[in-house]
Amino acid sequence: MRPTSWREHAYHALLWLVALIFFAPIFWIVLSSFKTADQILAVPPKLIFTPTIANYTKLFSSASFPHQLFNSVVLSVAAVLIAVAVSFLAAFSFSRFKPPGTNFLMFLLLSIRMLPGSAAILPVYLMYVGFGWKDTYAGMILFYAMFSIPFSVWILKGFIDGVSPRFDETGIVNGASWLRIITRTILPQVMPGVIAASIFNFIFVWNEFLFNYIIGGISTSNIPVALASGLYSNGGVDWTFISALTSVYIVPPILVVYFFQRYLLVGMTFGTVRGEV
Amino acid sequence: MPDIRLSHLSRAFDKFKAVDDITAVFAEGTVTCLLGPSGCGKTTLMRMIAGLEMPTSGSIKFGERDVTHLAPRRRDVAMVFQYPVMYRTCSVIENIELPLQRDRSLSAAERRRRADEVLEVLQLSDERDRHIGDLDVGMRQKVAVGRAIARRCDVILFDEPTTNVEVHAKLALIRAFKEFRARLRQTVIYVTHDQTEAMTLADQIALMQAGRISQCTAPRIMYEKPESRFGGWFLGNPGMNFLVPRGGEDSGLRFDVLPRPLERPAAAAGELSLGIRPEHVEVLLDPAQDTVPARVLRSSITIGGQNLLSLAVGEARLKAKTAPGVPQADGATVFIRCPLEHTVFFNDGQRLPEAVRALG
Repeated sequence: MRPTSWREHAYHALLWLVALIFFAPIFWIVLSSFKTADQILAVPPKLIFTPTIANYTKLFSSASFPHQLFNSVVLSVAAVLIAVAVSFLAAFSFSRFKPPGTNFLMFLLLSIRMLPGSAAILPVYLMYVGFGWKDTYAGMILFYAMFSIPFSVWILKGFIDGVSPRFDETGIVNGASWLRIITRTILPQVMPGVIAASIFNFIFVWNEFLFNYIIGGISTSNIPVALASGLYSNGGVDWTFISALTSVYIVPPILVVYFFQRYLLVGMTFGTVRGEV
Repeated sequence: MPDIRLSHLSRAFDKFKAVDDITAVFAEGTVTCLLGPSGCGKTTLMRMIAGLEMPTSGSIKFGERDVTHLAPRRRDVAMVFQYPVMYRTCSVIENIELPLQRDRSLSAAERRRRADEVLEVLQLSDERDRHIGDLDVGMRQKVAVGRAIARRCDVILFDEPTTNVEVHAKLALIRAFKEFRARLRQTVIYVTHDQTEAMTLADQIALMQAGRISQCTAPRIMYEKPESRFGGWFLGNPGMNFLVPRGGEDSGLRFDVLPRPLERPAAAAGELSLGIRPEHVEVLLDPAQDTVPARVLRSSITIGGQNLLSLAVGEARLKAKTAPGVPQADGATVFIRCPLEHTVFFNDGQRLPEAVRALG
């Protein structure tokens, strides 16, 4: 076995240090969620304590949290499903049929991502109030789907470009419809891209605060909004509430990233050169 | 099975004519190889027959049925591409069965029976239930061939199916192709740039050059009697030797490789040349009747142990294929004979139909 050099030791130590720095807040918040308010604010911090699940019991027995958790899940999943379905068909069309102005349209799509959310909030708010979509599931899902589509189209077009048109042609000659070609031959091959796009969109919607706060409401508020609105209690910051809620809040993204991390990597490197088939 | 009739078929991409006014008939139940160098239009022609490319002008008929403007699915054609195109989520048998599902008249049992039959013909029965991702490229291409023949279409199109498979898989594919041809007599168009493949598989070869079919005939005839110098040069390894006469036409046509002058054909008004295949050039160690002396410029050994000699006769240069045993030393003198019955004469690049006789 090759002896490990001091450089490698130093490199690993550095990686551990960076990982610990990034992990420390998560560790602190999860640990705090099992403490009482006094224990959380104790100086010096208490690492040895009797854990309690009282914060979680209180959180889940509150009137609003289960509903807000439900909202977060519904909005994220529905928006992602719609966004990916629409984006996949749009990307397929751009990739295969190349309508006039494809490059310009693709740039236009990307340019939407350049726009800060706050720049769009006022017209969106007025439109939603005008249409009566404010604080409705359909309205919120539509908005999140719309906001997720441009990036997804970009990712998926890169993947579909990498699938040889010979696949389409085989299907055409064999008498398959476009829908069948898309579902049976193209989709299985770009599945890593579809999953990568879904993960990116899920994390975006799951973390989204601004638009939910402005065009959402009591019926559709999600966890980030719940976190902001429940921050203060009895004239001070309610750390027990924050720690328990945050601990629950970070579980889905962690699970998604953990189980699909290889697709995230694929998504980040999309558009790289691949073979004919 | 119908024949395929092309009438004044053309396809242009902007100003470039990929296929230029082709009129031809590919007989029913035969294998026609479209052969030619890269960019000669053979794939474009085949894609038009498949319906994947629309002609700029002209028509395509399958028998009496005009299919020029029909969608591919309505033409009853199957196609095998250069790369094995597979349904990746399916097993081998499912890949073959999938296109059959379109035919509502076939029961599930009949579909399965037909797919199993194809697997047997292609000797793929052992791989029947394997996932397609577990097979190598050669095996996948075999499955692609199976999927094409299982539909029992009127016409099957092959677009250089052996280009991307390794040698053993290529031979297996060719064997499979012959096997299915022996059982099912579908009309087949086979695009290739590999002349050996074309000579082995085809009932007729359509030799293409610059968007046109320069000759369409049986492989043997095409090899022996090419219609043009291009055909003589393109077929064979190496291609045909071409020799031009040297002056003194008053007393007939004189070629360096022939001992006696030839009578000038009446139809030969343009630039005349003589063609002879390297294997038809007889090389002797001693002078004999109708031989001329030649100098060995270079000698190399070809596949099968034959010698390939580069020879100089006066101003003329030619190649000869000989059996092992003939001296190979560079600079050696040998004696060559070019039998007139194996020569072909071209006038301005086109073969002269009439025989050319020796004077005296």
